Amino acid sequence: MTAPLSKSIVIWVMVGLVLLTLSAPTVVVLGASFTSGNIIVFPPNGFSLQWYGKIASDVGLRGAFMRSLTVAAICTVIAIPVGTLAGIALAKYAIKFERSLQVYLLLPFTIPLIGSGIGLMLLFGQMGILGQIWPIGIACCVINLPFMIWAVTASAANLDPDLELAAANCGAPPIATFFHVTLPAVMPGVISGSLLMFILALNEFLVSLLLTDARTVTLPVQIYNSIRSIITPDLAAISVVFIACAAIIIALLDRLVGLDIFLKSK
Amino acid sequence: MRSYRTAYPFRWRVMDTLEMLARVLWPNRFSGAVPYLMLAPAVLLVLLLVIGMAQIADSSLHVLDRSTFLPSADFTLANYQTALRQPLYWMIIWRSLLGAAVVTLLSLIFAFPYAYLMVRTPSALLRKFLLIALFLPFFIGQVVRAYGWLIILGNQGVMNEMLGWVGIEPQRLLFNYPAVLFGLVQYMLPFAVLMLAPAITAIPEEIESAASSLGANWWRTFTHVILPMSKPGLVGAGLVVLTLSLTDFAMPAVLGGGSQDFIANAIYDQFFRTSDQGMGAALTLFLVGIGSLVVGVIFTVFGAGTLAMGRGKK
Repeated sequence: MTAPLSKSIVIWVMVGLVLLTLSAPTVVVLGASFTSGNIIVFPPNGFSLQWYGKIASDVGLRGAFMRSLTVAAICTVIAIPVGTLAGIALAKYAIKFERSLQVYLLLPFTIPLIGSGIGLMLLFGQMGILGQIWPIGIACCVINLPFMIWAVTASAANLDPDLELAAANCGAPPIATFFHVTLPAVMPGVISGSLLMFILALNEFLVSLLLTDARTVTLPVQIYNSIRSIITPDLAAISVVFIACAAIIIALLDRLVGLDIFLKSK
Repeated sequence: MRSYRTAYPFRWRVMDTLEMLARVLWPNRFSGAVPYLMLAPAVLLVLLLVIGMAQIADSSLHVLDRSTFLPSADFTLANYQTALRQPLYWMIIWRSLLGAAVVTLLSLIFAFPYAYLMVRTPSALLRKFLLIALFLPFFIGQVVRAYGWLIILGNQGVMNEMLGWVGIEPQRLLFNYPAVLFGLVQYMLPFAVLMLAPAITAIPEEIESAASSLGANWWRTFTHVILPMSKPGLVGAGLVVLTLSLTDFAMPAVLGGGSQDFIANAIYDQFFRTSDQGMGAALTLFLVGIGSLVVGVIFTVFGAGTLAMGRGKK
């Protein structure tokens, strides 16, 4: 059965508009980063890599990027065990007060980011750890934790309790069962969840804005601060770093678990 | 001795030690507590947020206590009254709510055909292309995307240049309400599509064929079959988009240029420009309240249980 022409036209026109809107900023930022002029004009005048040279030699930017990487790494390292254990527990066991627990674990989604950020800012301030890098990583982990738990529970359909019983029957003790049977079953969820956590923390802006100061500024905050003063092509070149990171994560996602995992119905 | 080593490798020894430790520390009769033990780290992490919210509540009371020296119970009310008596805040709240509603509607309308095509297309290549086109902006972050729009919509930007080619005077496209809403829609589209796609996957294709073989044209199939059946996805996507755009900071700040503040921007200004922690904290709790209210209303109108969208099982 082929779709009627009018349906195809409507769908394709709307999808075309969405595609245009989705990709326009990426394309324009890419284009602007290669300009040889000092300001961003359209069409760009000339091709050069001068802005990439400029950002590569900028110590402040390199520091901000390294800090962003550190934050993302801390966030992911914490999220993997915490989210995986919680996800398996939610998917495998009948838990008392499960509904309330789910609502509680969804709090990072339901509390607005500005609220979470300011709350953590006050809390960290009182603990005297504001102005360090690792609290930002923890904060990013907290606010995005539902993504990790969701990813693990989504792949928990592969979790067959009979397999664990079979392992036990063959003499495997609990920890060996966990590492050889339970964990491999949810591995796709763990991988997609941790990649998601990494890239979200790398891009995290508002909470970082609230938790950083001049010495601990992360790259998205740095870009935001520079946007407000003046628009120069070096910002476009920095932005391309983010585009490259996003592309790497997408390639990894596709290689390791397949992007189709996000289309599955639960 | 050498044969002992190969017969009993290091890894086995580590595992056996671990198993033994586990047996000593956590005997079998505790096994009922295992799931709670597994959940404990996550619960503790989220507890940070709860303590943070308590800190915000405390902070709002604290400032008022110092200024009036009266029992704190009255101050909470006074604090919110002061905040709500200012017409400026009402305007900002109205702007945020209206904006969030418009953005949600537009995002759902445009995300739906995208998700539908992505799920239904027989071509694996097209599906992958659509997925990549979706994930790339999703993974790039709000600030970079807002920066891209600054380049496109600026006074000497791409858009005005192209308008110039067809003889239209340069327009002021930035720093107004539509620009903020447009930026928000672009930011929300990936969220909406990703929430909608699983719901559409769950609709069997045969049902559409059945509808059309019974004589329904595609529009009637869409309105009577596909749309009602994808309700869980629509509610889930709507909720996510509504709450995220209601509380957004970056788009109003960058594309609104300070003239189109949403609630989050007002809160930020209270903390970092005016340094009135109490007022900022009150506004924050107020935003949390509005958000919960909106979510609650959607739940009662469209039915609960769809929050489980974000979670594998009920």
